[in-house]
Amino acid sequence: MERIVNDFQLNIATANGTGSQSANLILLHTMFNMGVPVSGKNLFPSNIAGLPTWYILRVSDNGYQAPGDRTHIQVVMNKATWDEDVANCLPGTLILFNTDVKMPVEREDCTVIGVAMTKMARGLNPKLAKMISNMIYVGLLAEILGLDDAALDAALAQQFKGKARAIELNLEAVDLGRNFVRENVDLDAIPFRIEARDVDENLFLVEGNEAVALGSHYGGVGLLSWYPITPSSSLAEGIIAYIPELRADENGDHYCAVVQAEDELAAAGMVVGGGWSGIRAMTATSGPGISLMSEFIGLAYFAEVPGVIWDVNRTGPSTGLPTRTQQGDLTMLYEASHGDTTHPVLIPGNMQECFEYGWKAFDIAERLQTLVFGFSDLDLGMNRWSCPGFEYPETPMDRGKVLRTQEELDAIENYGRYRDVDGDGIPYRTLPGSGLDPILYRGTGHDEDGIYSEKPEVYQALMMRLKRKMDNARTWLPQPVLREEDEKEVGIIYYGSMENSIQEIDDILEDEIGRKVSQCRVRSLPLSPVVEQFIRDHETVIVLEINRDGQLYGILRRELPHELIPRMHSAAYSDGMPPRARHYAELIKNVLEEVGE
Amino acid sequence: MTIKLNVIDLPKDDYTGGKSTLCPGCGHDQISNVIINAAWDNGLRPEKLAKMSGIGCSSKTPAYFLGKSHGFNTVHGRMPAVTTGAAMGNRDLTFLAVSGDGDSASIGIGQFIHAVRRNLDMVYVLENNGVYGLTKGQYSATAVKGSKKKKGPANEHQPIDLCKLAINLGCTFVARSFSGSKKQLTALMKAAMSHKGFALIDVISPCVTFNNNDESLRSYTYVKDNDVELHAYDYIPTQTPIESAAAPEGEYHDITLFDGSVLRLETIGSDHDPSDAMAALNALHKAESEDKHVTGLLYFDPTKATATEDQCLVATPLSEVDDEIMRPSAASLQTLNDRFRGKA
Repeated sequence: MERIVNDFQLNIATANGTGSQSANLILLHTMFNMGVPVSGKNLFPSNIAGLPTWYILRVSDNGYQAPGDRTHIQVVMNKATWDEDVANCLPGTLILFNTDVKMPVEREDCTVIGVAMTKMARGLNPKLAKMISNMIYVGLLAEILGLDDAALDAALAQQFKGKARAIELNLEAVDLGRNFVRENVDLDAIPFRIEARDVDENLFLVEGNEAVALGSHYGGVGLLSWYPITPSSSLAEGIIAYIPELRADENGDHYCAVVQAEDELAAAGMVVGGGWSGIRAMTATSGPGISLMSEFIGLAYFAEVPGVIWDVNRTGPSTGLPTRTQQGDLTMLYEASHGDTTHPVLIPGNMQECFEYGWKAFDIAERLQTLVFGFSDLDLGMNRWSCPGFEYPETPMDRGKVLRTQEELDAIENYGRYRDVDGDGIPYRTLPGSGLDPILYRGTGHDEDGIYSEKPEVYQALMMRLKRKMDNARTWLPQPVLREEDEKEVGIIYYGSMENSIQEIDDILEDEIGRKVSQCRVRSLPLSPVVEQFIRDHETVIVLEINRDGQLYGILRRELPHELIPRMHSAAYSDGMPPRARHYAELIKNVLEEVGE
Repeated sequence: MTIKLNVIDLPKDDYTGGKSTLCPGCGHDQISNVIINAAWDNGLRPEKLAKMSGIGCSSKTPAYFLGKSHGFNTVHGRMPAVTTGAAMGNRDLTFLAVSGDGDSASIGIGQFIHAVRRNLDMVYVLENNGVYGLTKGQYSATAVKGSKKKKGPANEHQPIDLCKLAINLGCTFVARSFSGSKKQLTALMKAAMSHKGFALIDVISPCVTFNNNDESLRSYTYVKDNDVELHAYDYIPTQTPIESAAAPEGEYHDITLFDGSVLRLETIGSDHDPSDAMAALNALHKAESEDKHVTGLLYFDPTKATATEDQCLVATPLSEVDDEIMRPSAASLQTLNDRFRGKA
């Protein structure tokens, strides 16, 4: 049988809370340790124990990271979804199942291997049988796929943080699985194999939330206020976890305060208070939290107070699908709160950028004296991604226009808190406690000195200055990443976690319809003029998004010159799942067919 | 004529603010004057004070006092969160907050509760009139049942008593006063400014425009005739020789405050012990059952750690720590990268 090497997908169906996450991560890290490009997606329920969970492992020498067109190996452990999991297998699938669940697997068209996993595990440790049974399928897969022992040992050591007894027990379970395959399975009948590749010693796997948390520390965060919400909680908890190591003095006293707030409104209010006092303050939340924070977001915009909010997007609207992913919050972030408002949004597409924007968001917030959003999503934030290492900030902190001494204040002619003396739309500020030109900050209309005003010309001038301030930032916020083809016929605009599907989309288009498409990955709002130029340079431009309505497409339509609008098309799709290349490739093909390209 | 200076050689003018735009005769303006006098008398540095407020008539008043202090007129009911954030940023500031009953008993009751729960170090002046003034006279959640506006139906709901609530939440300083009781209110204000922790002063401050007919239980004439003073006070800052203060007659009770100053309570017609939460609640319930307002320092506990103390922060306010210290070193990032790579 012809071997299929490093190019297949596993789907492991278990119940939440059974310990399968450890087993699945051990598989992921073992393959990663062998230098094999692999990605793992944890599809978990909004539940602590009992509801179904699937883990999708994509192995791809091409580096494809999103779930592919089909599953090649299905592990069936969960009674609740058993029939569905078995029925969903396409012909030729290798099905591994736990016979102790006593459920049938009747698939003549598949390779089916049943193993008494719970019984085997009980033999090792009756109390932990449920948990250990997951390690039996790790052993089965290790033997079938040819996973390297040393790589597996290293993954086990990492997962159980060097705890000898846990490692030993789990290793015994793996050996039981391996032995079963040696004694009972004809490996020649199974095509799937993992082969080691060159290992890049610099690469490691990390979750986006942890990368943002670390980046925030290297941005000198002084206050984290937060309210727990999936999928952002691990970002806040990541910040907390690193405080003793990174943010304590020799006495163990901290340089970062943490307040678990009573709700998201309070969390946002604390960010505003912290920014006003002169520290770098942040919170992390998801869409429902942003909805609640919107009033304070408007206050920060209007009173010009710096702060950072990370939105780890989950599927909305309302409570939505709390444990699924989406790019459905983009428009809300850009314009959150009533009245005319605009907020900078930073959109990382990989782990290095999660870290970089973690610290850079504060520089931008203080430079612009406004609230800055980091825009991640559940896929990026809670799954493990390959990272070549985090880079230390190349520049000192940009604290923006803060006057800290009487001399600095005196040097400015006609100082007023909201007077644009430099012509860049950004005024100077002083801090509480400094005694320098104190004012009463307010969310009400105010003149250039911060005094209450309802005068039409004062209000209008203020709003136009705020707009100028944001427009000026378009050229220095994180700029788009372009990959342009010579043809300049079709251009794809995308952002965020779509980065992990774009190569596969690109390959499908080239393989199936012979099209070479240029790419423009947007990394911030308000949009850079580079995006407009990219659109001008291409005959047909398609905006790819993980949402229903084409939110970035909508922003482009509103902000671009009228004559460019006819060449723009939306390819938006969202079903809660990570973006699968096939869906978007088909949408793009449809658009190209419609426009006759 | 020489200008009178306080203990840090500042004239009272350094503590005043802009001209009030409230209704003429509003009790809130009396409270602003008390704040000015108390801050001046206590010798607080204007630049180390921060004025905080929410939205409403009361929350407009920080524009009318302490013009040399930074302030933040925030959003409706959510001033405690902003104050919490600012306190984390600069623990050296004294936070003087003004709120109203709409702000604190309705839209912002959650934030009020949690600021008390954390014992945030702040003075929380509640200017309580039982109505929404800026929106023209709707009942608030502190309006007494049966209160009647000039127009429309009577209030059908029982009131929320924020002093009772605060005592039950473990608030460390709970007082009630009346905007017309300048002497008592000044003493309480000075004591609250010296307190380390959350100090609530619920000041009954009748609305002259919307809640001052005789059927209203928070009208000026009703309150003036029916408030019961729990104690008379003489507040003695440490900066002033104790002999120079008028010594109270009769029995008294001294309480040492955080800054070493002494709050002296003279018991009038009552031997109320402010460390006794049950007695405080009894006094509040009794007064309520008799349609009266009990005023004075109801409850006091100087022993609890504050929100900022709970944080294990460095002594320097975080807003004043150097950037190079706030950002961890390049070496620390190298260590982290190595650890992720399994090399450390």
